[in-house]
Amino acid sequence: MPPRAKYIRTTLLELERIHSHLLWLGIAGHIIGFETVLMQAWRIREPVMWLCEQITGNRKTYGMNLIGGVRRDITTGQYPKIIEVVSKIEAQLKELINAIAGDTTLHMRLKNVGVLSPSAAKELCPVGPTVRGSGIAIDSRINHPYASYLETPPKLITKPDGDVWARTLVRLEETFESIRIVKLALEQMPSGEIMADVKEITPWQEGISYVEAPRGEAIHYVLTGPDNRPYRWRVRAPSYPNLQAVPTMLKGNFIADAPIIIGSIDPCFSCTERLEVVDTKTKKIRVYSQDELREMSRKR
Amino acid sequence: MLISKLKEALICFKNLRVTLPYPTQPANPAEGFRGRLEIDLNKCIGCGACANACPPRLIIVTNLDSRRTFDFILGKCTYCARCADVCPEHAITMSQEFELATADKSDLNISVELNMVKCQECGTAFTTKRIVDKLVAILPEKIEIEPTAIDWLTLCPDCRRIKEVHRLTEVEK
Repeated sequence: MPPRAKYIRTTLLELERIHSHLLWLGIAGHIIGFETVLMQAWRIREPVMWLCEQITGNRKTYGMNLIGGVRRDITTGQYPKIIEVVSKIEAQLKELINAIAGDTTLHMRLKNVGVLSPSAAKELCPVGPTVRGSGIAIDSRINHPYASYLETPPKLITKPDGDVWARTLVRLEETFESIRIVKLALEQMPSGEIMADVKEITPWQEGISYVEAPRGEAIHYVLTGPDNRPYRWRVRAPSYPNLQAVPTMLKGNFIADAPIIIGSIDPCFSCTERLEVVDTKTKKIRVYSQDELREMSRKR
Repeated sequence: MLISKLKEALICFKNLRVTLPYPTQPANPAEGFRGRLEIDLNKCIGCGACANACPPRLIIVTNLDSRRTFDFILGKCTYCARCADVCPEHAITMSQEFELATADKSDLNISVELNMVKCQECGTAFTTKRIVDKLVAILPEKIEIEPTAIDWLTLCPDCRRIKEVHRLTEVEK
């Protein structure tokens, strides 16, 4: 892959992390009934969505990556705009954190709540800010650098306490770190091609890749098929390993704290829904076909 | 505690309302936004590159009774714009239109029908007339061919092969 394409990928991955962590901050505020945080975090976040729309053609579903590079270039004319947007986010987020950090309401709702101890974290193997909030220093960007992360290494942020507050702090500091990397990537961005010359994709080859998504390590498996198309594609979204830690986090807490504890892993249930239908009497496992599931969802 | 609340209030008062007056006023997406796809029917030659590139495979090509039909089932479209990228005639463009909510997904569908050419030998419809016309228009400029070679364009790939084999065997005799 051409180096410029790698830098563009990094830039977009970090812009994505900025918007995702700000989105989470807003939702966390909403879950604990602190609507000011929701309103202000999302106000701060919106310009990054507009920026991504300018760069990629959409707020989400950027559609930038192709085998061999990226589809659209980030023109040098766009650099000042990107720097301006992320710098503004940096200043505004600092202002917001400065205001809410001393708010005792937040501390009462988030500190010592949903604790995942470092030893429990090691046992249960969650990923991303969830595990880094328990003091475990793992991050795919550092452990297995991809895109341009070798040249633009992020600082690994961990907090030892393992409570919801620790996970909040990890995400907030990571947002600033992402802003730094976006600026660094633009500064170091090499010129040149953005696509390698890829012609045919050999069928029946397997590939596996990992990316440190905002929620943690996402793993994609692909088996190539004929006609340059994937034959099988399987994703292990970070919410799957993170959900395994939730029962431990919930133990001994108040029911009123359950929403924010579950919310603290930044779950994406649609990414990770894996369920098995078991008849409790006969212990038989039933597999539903696609048609049956469609029928069930429409009947309701 | 009180200081925090004051600081929070200050941020709120400083920024006030930031929501856009949409939908009472239009909200225009950024330049290069990938909205509803549009097809210039005059430009499409029916090569099928779009159907080949479409990741969710929603462009269905059918050849029936010397008509080639392209059905764009846009209810499943992810607006990735790969079809627009690969279209050699730039017939597909992504518009700025994003207000596509509908109770009936088929409202979004687009259908393109093109006439096909029948093979002079066997009579099978094998490609669109526009592709043949295009080839006729560009070929003489690029390579020198004998005048009869134009007839080759009206043969299906199978008949071309058979004819070429016959020609070669005659040469050997």
